[in-house]
Order: sequence, then C-alpha cells, then structure tokens
Amino acid sequence: MTMHPKERPDDLSRREFLLRAAGAATVMSGAGGLLAACSSSTTVAAPTSTTGEPLGPGGLPLARPDKRVTLPRWEDPIASGLEPETGGTFTIFNYPDYFYKKLLKDFGKKYKVDVQYTAFDNISSGIRRLASGAVQPDVMEMTPDNLDLAVASKLIKPLNLDYIPNLQANVWPELVSPFYDGESRYTVPYTTYATGIAWRNDKVSEDIASMPQPWDIFWESQAYKGKVALLSEPRETIAMALLRKGITDINTEDPKLIDQAIADLKELYGVCNIKVGDVQYQAVPEGTSWLNQAWTGDMIAGYIYYLPKGTPGSVLSYWKAEKGKVPIQNDCFSICTTTKKPVLAHLFLNYLLDNGVAYTNFVDFNGYQPPLNEIDPAALVKDGVVPENLANSVLTNDDFGPDSLQEMTLTARGQQLWEDGYSDFLAGGS
Amino acid sequence: MYRRWLWPSFAFPGILWLIVLFVVPFYAVLAVALGSVDPVTLLKPVPAWNPIDWNVGWIVEVLHRLAPGGSFYGVAIRTLEYVAASLALSLLIGYPVAYYVARHAGRWKGILLVLIVLPLWISYMMRMLAWVNLLQPEGYVNRFLTFTHVLSRPHDWLGGHSSTVVFALVYGYIPYFILPLFASLDRIDRSHLEAARDLGASPWSAFRHVTLPLSKTGILGGSVLITLPMFGDYYTPNIVSPTPTTSMIGNQIDLYFHGGPQPTIGAAITILLAVFLTGLMAYYMWTIHRAQRAVGAVGAV
Repeated sequence: MTMHPKERPDDLSRREFLLRAAGAATVMSGAGGLLAACSSSTTVAAPTSTTGEPLGPGGLPLARPDKRVTLPRWEDPIASGLEPETGGTFTIFNYPDYFYKKLLKDFGKKYKVDVQYTAFDNISSGIRRLASGAVQPDVMEMTPDNLDLAVASKLIKPLNLDYIPNLQANVWPELVSPFYDGESRYTVPYTTYATGIAWRNDKVSEDIASMPQPWDIFWESQAYKGKVALLSEPRETIAMALLRKGITDINTEDPKLIDQAIADLKELYGVCNIKVGDVQYQAVPEGTSWLNQAWTGDMIAGYIYYLPKGTPGSVLSYWKAEKGKVPIQNDCFSICTTTKKPVLAHLFLNYLLDNGVAYTNFVDFNGYQPPLNEIDPAALVKDGVVPENLANSVLTNDDFGPDSLQEMTLTARGQQLWEDGYSDFLAGGS
Repeated sequence: MYRRWLWPSFAFPGILWLIVLFVVPFYAVLAVALGSVDPVTLLKPVPAWNPIDWNVGWIVEVLHRLAPGGSFYGVAIRTLEYVAASLALSLLIGYPVAYYVARHAGRWKGILLVLIVLPLWISYMMRMLAWVNLLQPEGYVNRFLTFTHVLSRPHDWLGGHSSTVVFALVYGYIPYFILPLFASLDRIDRSHLEAARDLGASPWSAFRHVTLPLSKTGILGGSVLITLPMFGDYYTPNIVSPTPTTSMIGNQIDLYFHGGPQPTIGAAITILLAVFLTGLMAYYMWTIHRAQRAVGAVGAV
C-alpha cells in the first residue's frame, strides 16, 4: 500500500519509539528540574502594625464593636452643591431581590435615569466581580466585614455626607458613625439582622427557646433528619459552633478553637444529615426545612411571602440569644469607584434612608429591618406587620454597641483558617 | 503555494477557537494555581504567567489534602463513586435506547431522536429545579409511587441521599450519552451482522461479538462526554441534595473560587482534576486509534 507524502504513518518503528521516548524522558526530567526550581508557599502574608497588632487587608486596622476604626480616605469626596447627573443608566449591585423594584423605579423616574439591578450570589463574589472589572455599578451593597477589603482595593469612594442628610436625621445613633466606619466615610447602613434559629413549631416539639443552650437543638435533631439546615455562610456556621460552646469571640483566629468548632459541626452529619443553604426564608415557611439557622429578616420575609395558603403564621417560631451572645450584623451601601454618576449615587444613599422609602422596602418587600429611629418595634407587632410569635425578630438600637457580637474582618491568616475549616466541613467527611 | 495553504487554512478558525477559548483560559487557571494572592487586599489572585515564577505550593497542598486522611480524600472518592455509578446507570439505560432507535425504530427514528434531545431545549438548571418540585414529599413522584403501592409512604428524596444525586446526574447527562452511541450503532454495517448469523451465530452471540465491539467507540465517546462535566459538577448536588455528605469535588472548587483568600486552591484542584481527566481522555484516544487501525486492517483484507 502506498501513501501520499502528506499522510503520516500511524505506526512507530521501534527505533522511532525509542527516540521519542528518550525525548519525552528528557523533557520530563527537565520539567522535574523546573518544578524543583519553583518556590513552594501556601501562606498569605499577614501584615502587623508597629505595635505588633494584627492588621486587615491593606494594612488597615481591624475594627471590633469595642474598637472603633476610622478608615483613611484614599481620595477626596466630591464637592458639595453639585447637580445630580441625569439620563443613561444607574446600576445597583446587590443581593438578588434585596431592594423593592418599585422603589428603584420611582427613584429612576425622579432623576430621569434608567435604574438597573445587577445581582451577585454573595458579597465576596460580588466584590471579586467588581475588582475584576466585570461589572461597573454606581452603588453596591457592602458588609462591615468586607469594608477594609473594598477600601484597600479602592473599590468604593469616600462619601460627602452633605448629600446624605437622612443619615443624621433618621438613623439609629449607633450606626450614624459606626465602629467599623468612623464618621461614615464610606458607608451608610441599610438593614439590620441577627442570627438565630427558625423552626416550624408544628413539626419540632422541643421548646427551643427554653433550652439551656438552644444551639444544642441541632445536635439533638435526630428526629428531624433531612429537615435540618444551617446557613451556607462560613462565618455564621463556624460562629454558631463557637457560641454553642460558650466562646463569644466570633472573630477568633485560634486554630484550636476553629478545629474544635469544625469537629463539632461534623457531628451533625450523623445526627441529622445536616443541609447547608440560604433558602431558609422560603424553606421554613413552606415546611421543606423544619429547623434552620436563620437571620431575623428571613422569618419576617417568610411570613410575608412564603407561607402556603392555609398555613397560619403562628407555626413559625424564632429564637435569638440575648445581647452579647447573639451575632448581629448590619448591611450597608457604598458608592463604587466605577460610578459615572457620583452625585446621583449620593442621592440614592440618601433616598434609601428616607423614612417612607426604607419602611416600604422593609414591610412591603424584603423583611429586613432598616435602622431607623421612626420604626417603633412595638408598633410593628401591634400593627400586625410582624406576628407576635416572631416579635423577637425585631431589633432595636440597643442591640448594637460595644458589647455586641459582630463578625468582622479577619487577618489574612484568619481568613485562610476559617475558609479551610469550612471547606473541611463542606467536604462531608470520609 | 496557494494549493499548499488552502486546505490547512480551513483548520484556522478551529485552531483560533481552541487557542482563545481553551488554551488561554487553561493557562490562566494554571497561572493562578501556580501563583499567589495579592497580599495587600487578599482579593485578587496574582497569576504567575512566567514559569520561572511558578509556586507549586498550592498544588502540593491540594495533593496532600487529596491523599488518604486528607480533607479532600473523602469528597474525591465520593465524586468518583457518583460518576462511576452514574456512568453505569447511563450505560444500562442508554444502550438499549440507542440500540432500539438505531436498529428497530424504523420511520420513528427521527421522532425518537427529537424526543431524546427535547430535554436539552430547557436549561439544565431549570430541569433540576423542576425535579426538586417533583421529588417533594407531596410531589408527583411520591404521589405516583404511593398510588401504585410501590411505596407505602412518601420517601424523603430530597433529604440528602446519594441515590438522588446519582439519579439527577443520570437524568441531566444521559442524552449526551445516547447521541454518540446512537451514531455509532447506526453506522454499523448490517452485512457484518448478517455474516455472523450466516456463520451460525445466535442473536446474542452476534450482538456480543459484532455489535458490541463495533459500538465500543460510541460507548467510550458517550462516556467521555458525560463524565468530564460530571466530575466538575457542583450545582446538581447543590440543588437536589445540599448536604455536605453528598457534596462533590466541584463544590470545593466553587467554595474556593467564590470569594475568600485562596482562589489558588480552587485553581489547583481544577488543574489536578484536569490532569486526571486527561488520563481518561488519553485512554479514549488510544482506544479510538486502535479501533481505527482495526477497521483499516479489515478494509485492507
């Protein structure tokens, strides 16, 4: 059989095989040398201050509820008295379904812009997308524990509070110049919430709130196997295991404590085949989850939106620990460096702190409580906005302060420690 | 000159496509896996584009975790088990379907093929979410099974079971298994089977000695098509069984890439998974090559 010169024979002769094998061996040995010449490191440098105090991203000090931090402004805020920009689009970067679209439409109408809502899965991935340039929003949701990162990376702009009078006028004093952002240089607060336990009291027989340590219910939930879930949030999950053991330093970077927390969490595989996810606001009211770690806002939103027809609101229960033992948090809004409408972005921050806007967003849409003086917790229950059995889902300004617990920024090493711990839990054991 | 370059130039779009959408992204992941993280912000990975700057620490770290006793060992073995079980089930279900459509469907062949492909018209995510509704305790699956007395009471399919994940993987990927297998079976020259029968082979023997060996490339092609995405899948267990005990290695990649200070670990797992899958691909290529040679030899005779 003859071959065209362009056709290559498929078979290798013994000689060719030996030649090629020798070539491959040479390349492989070279690769070995190359790899050997490579460095081998898996630690991220954790900067410390001159006094040896651990620092966060960008060498910024780590804020804690009892340790106020005022972040440096990396550029001057915009000048006062400028006219807002009009026309084009105005983009809000936020969790999905976390702002009432009708209110956004109203804002767009008022300032003659087309308001777009771009969603992220979680704040970490949102910040990563912003840093990569994949999105160019005008304003975005921010959390205090990610603030250092956003400022160090110059992803958000310093604020000119002259444009945001509602901050001083309407917001709880504790969050006007909060401990994580002294002088409110980069953020305004948006919503508040605490982390606790939500359950269907028609399915779960225990009186969880009366237990000596209510978090123990997850470790005693054999009867509810397949219907028990934790939040899909590394910080919240591990913090819960720490709190159960009476450890209130939920920003600890002690490997022994984290290892113990992970070992405790792993026990839940066998106890209840624990699930993880962030659909508790829907799963508990609908009864697909009976016992769930949950944020306060979830139950209010769940009560408003997800209770199936014919299911009374009284089947929902919620527990959270008292101040000093309960993780609390507040979400914020910031102006992104990518904004082309900085004045309008300031006005949007002022808009979301308007009493009427914030209240409507809360009770008609997302269920997460804004930190406004005008909202009377007692009235929320009295007016039926929040059912009596969920009254402890409502927060007050007293819940915040130096003796509160808040998950905050960790050092580089701490972040690695928590992430690896959560990965170990998520791997599901052997 | 013109003739010399005309036909090779036809490969240019494909080569460009491969370079832009495969080689460059793959090298980017490799550069991240062998790079570091911005120490100032901990936000951005710092890819090591130059091999001289490569840092193998993350790869070594992941290899340690994948070793017995390491934190990734269990999830890696579980992933292998799920993919193997899904592949076996796909073969068990898909082969008879492909065989029937190729050999016995007659004028219904076109319609049956459309029906096989039909689920792919809906996004994978939507189909999985639909199953979440169907598999609810009060869903249609339980209603049907209790009505027909297959089950005495509703089963908690979504309570975190390996079987649910395997079922979902099979459901999601099986059309991709059937199609190449169908093409392979459809191409088999009937005269080979007739010759086998003429020489006294029973139907089963003819199938075993003629059809099955000649459809081996189809089986392998379908297997490669479905196992490659299955190994990296994370959304299927997330949707139908969001428990750590049924998570797959893709969930770890997702975790490390989804924020946090170690995207390098996510990239390192991806690279090691790719190396493992390359081994499978090499076996596939070798088998195809051997089959082509065998067919060539038959042709020469």
